[in-house]
Amino acid sequence: MRNSCVPAVEVAGLTQRFGTVLAVDRLNLTIPPGMFYGIVGPNGAGKTTILTAMCGLRRPTAGTVRVAGHDLRTAREAALAQLGVMTDGLSLPERLTAVEVLRYSAGLRGLDGGWRARAGDLLEILGLDAVPRTLIVEYSTGMRKKINLALALLHRPRVLVLDEPFEAIDPVSARSIEQVLKQYVEAGGTVVLSSHIMDFVERNCRRVAVVAGGRVLVEGPVEQVAAGSTLNERFVELVGADPVRTLEWLA
Amino acid sequence: MTRALFALKLRLFRNGSHNERAFSLVAGLILAALVIAGASLSTRGVIHEGWIAVALTVWGGMWLFGPLAQPRHDPSVISREWLRGYPLRQWRLARALSWTELLGVGPLITLACLSSLVVLAAPGGTVAVAAAVAAVVAQLYLLVWAGKTVAALAAWLLQTRVGMTLAAVQTAIMLALSFAGWVPVAAWLLPLLGVGDTTLVIPTAGRLPEPMVDVLAASPTGWGYGAALAARDGAGAGPVLLPLAALLTLGALLQLCWIALTVRVLRRPPRQARARRPAVPGRALSLPFTTPQVAAVVSRELATWLRDPARGVELRSAWLTPLLMALVIAATDWIWALPLVGPAAAVFGAMAAVNTYALDGTAQWQLLTTPGALKADVHGRMAAWALMFGLPSIALAAVLWAATGSPLGGAAVGGAIAAAAAGCAGAPLLALVMPAVGADARDRVYPGQQAGDPTGGQMTIFPVVLLGAILPGVIGGPWWGSVLVAGLLAAIVLGVTPALSVRLLRQRGAGLLEAMAARDTAVLRAATGTRS
Repeated sequence: MRNSCVPAVEVAGLTQRFGTVLAVDRLNLTIPPGMFYGIVGPNGAGKTTILTAMCGLRRPTAGTVRVAGHDLRTAREAALAQLGVMTDGLSLPERLTAVEVLRYSAGLRGLDGGWRARAGDLLEILGLDAVPRTLIVEYSTGMRKKINLALALLHRPRVLVLDEPFEAIDPVSARSIEQVLKQYVEAGGTVVLSSHIMDFVERNCRRVAVVAGGRVLVEGPVEQVAAGSTLNERFVELVGADPVRTLEWLA
Repeated sequence: MTRALFALKLRLFRNGSHNERAFSLVAGLILAALVIAGASLSTRGVIHEGWIAVALTVWGGMWLFGPLAQPRHDPSVISREWLRGYPLRQWRLARALSWTELLGVGPLITLACLSSLVVLAAPGGTVAVAAAVAAVVAQLYLLVWAGKTVAALAAWLLQTRVGMTLAAVQTAIMLALSFAGWVPVAAWLLPLLGVGDTTLVIPTAGRLPEPMVDVLAASPTGWGYGAALAARDGAGAGPVLLPLAALLTLGALLQLCWIALTVRVLRRPPRQARARRPAVPGRALSLPFTTPQVAAVVSRELATWLRDPARGVELRSAWLTPLLMALVIAATDWIWALPLVGPAAAVFGAMAAVNTYALDGTAQWQLLTTPGALKADVHGRMAAWALMFGLPSIALAAVLWAATGSPLGGAAVGGAIAAAAAGCAGAPLLALVMPAVGADARDRVYPGQQAGDPTGGQMTIFPVVLLGAILPGVIGGPWWGSVLVAGLLAAIVLGVTPALSVRLLRQRGAGLLEAMAARDTAVLRAATGTRS
């Protein structure tokens, strides 16, 4: 039974320091369950650092992260059980095929036999069933995103944390991922993602946080954050963009 | 362009890691100083000058076999991939790059070592010294280009499955000769050791045989030596100039060969992984006495051992080495020593598996975000190692004991049991303690790509597992005593170490992942230091 009062993700006072660099500065976020939530920001804003701390891959310098009410620091296993993670730019067991890596993940999580049907569905919907003998190391960027999504969804987590799910992939792959995520949220799941694609965030996310310099500049429903203009225009306005002077030599 | 590339390489050296380079420099200079001291002693008649020919041959062998002996290394500093994008003629670029190859620790310490030729020639006067200086330069030129060309050829070969096997065979030959090459000599000196007779057959040769020195001086690594001695002895222009001309000509040909190989690399588009032999999706593995989580890890490990090119080289060389050692031993009168190949196999298996976490790279994120996965991973790696190396090592010792009826059979089986336990528990632990981080798993298509140099870990686990292999024979007494002691040792090691590995993985897992993402173990040290 899912408690709708407990936030899907609750970040309080999250601070992450790398030596003298303050990457995330006392950040607070509360993400309700069943939410499609976007985190946007310029390069180096701290988005990946926030998501990495959110899924327990980095111990924060200070602050707490709770997933479905479980503190990642004190009840790590319970918190991780609620999470599905899709990373950007990290390896998988590279010498396995899609079926093998899903079987491996199911075994590692001790899932019951139902995972086979789910794996079959995910591979079919994401178009990975066409390459049953291809090793992960041979996958294109788009295929990698898809198998990562399949792995994140296989155990039916309550919260999906996705780092740049649409980075460097073709529109067809992006569409299939988008469709799966929509179905997941409609079924009550929570998606927290970072993205540079404002159009996608505007189209799908109900709430968005604009992050810069490790802090939340503005957070709220997408329409409210956009404040009458497009999210892209509002983002540039919030983050600030230096005017680009004319380069005479380009003429 | 050469000047720009020189500046780039210097900058890369300055900004890169200095640990390995500093170690090589210090160790190389010490060895070079020993060769120079030897040359000085030979001029005073304390030792035979032929030993300098031996030393220079061994040094030259290091240039030739060094890069091949370590097939994981890509010796280039300036990335060829990066240079591909420039609109420059590849021949011109490769020629300019070739001169930057002279910049490095290897040429520097070799120059120091070869200066022993000047010491050798010094009694011949100024002209002899000048000729020796020329011989040093010419010999250095040849050695550098011989080594670089062999390395480039090895890198080219390592992109193919055949090359991978060749590299493993070559490594195995080197290791087998290193570890069992002394057996024929020992069998000659102590022919009846197997029956407990320690009568030593004393060899009569007190100094290096002249024909041997002549052969060494006639080989390309000895041409500089020959020229220096000819100059010292006033043998005339021919015996001095001929080897120098030969050194420069052969060196130039090898440099040309290296340039051609580099042009090939510069022309080739970035390589994508391709399935040469499509992988058949394996079936789920069901293992007795293991949880589904551990069985999943074992299944992943077995597939990875058979499919990952870097692990493939290690696996092949780890098994070929003891088999070649067995061949070497079988060719002597020391047949009774054959069962000892069993424990040796466990030792090589442990050395092969000492860097698995770094080879898997950032795939570790999956373990860190899955409940209970860290414990299953450590146990699964151990079980897979036992299946790939441990149990076969024990079986090998037992079969060779049965085949030879060796009096050391019991000690060998006991040694194999203890060594297998030490390797099984120690390899994952050292893989966590001393990860040699290289290119991430997703970026490694063939073993020639930088996969991290695990020499430190290998040199650490080697004495530990070797000790495990020796102890049952030393303290066990009769065969059943050896096996009993081995069983006890195995129980202790397998009972204590896995918990330590799991604890370490929990503590250092996030730092390890960060280090692998950054491809820098300094990140791990910094993370550990901050936390402690």
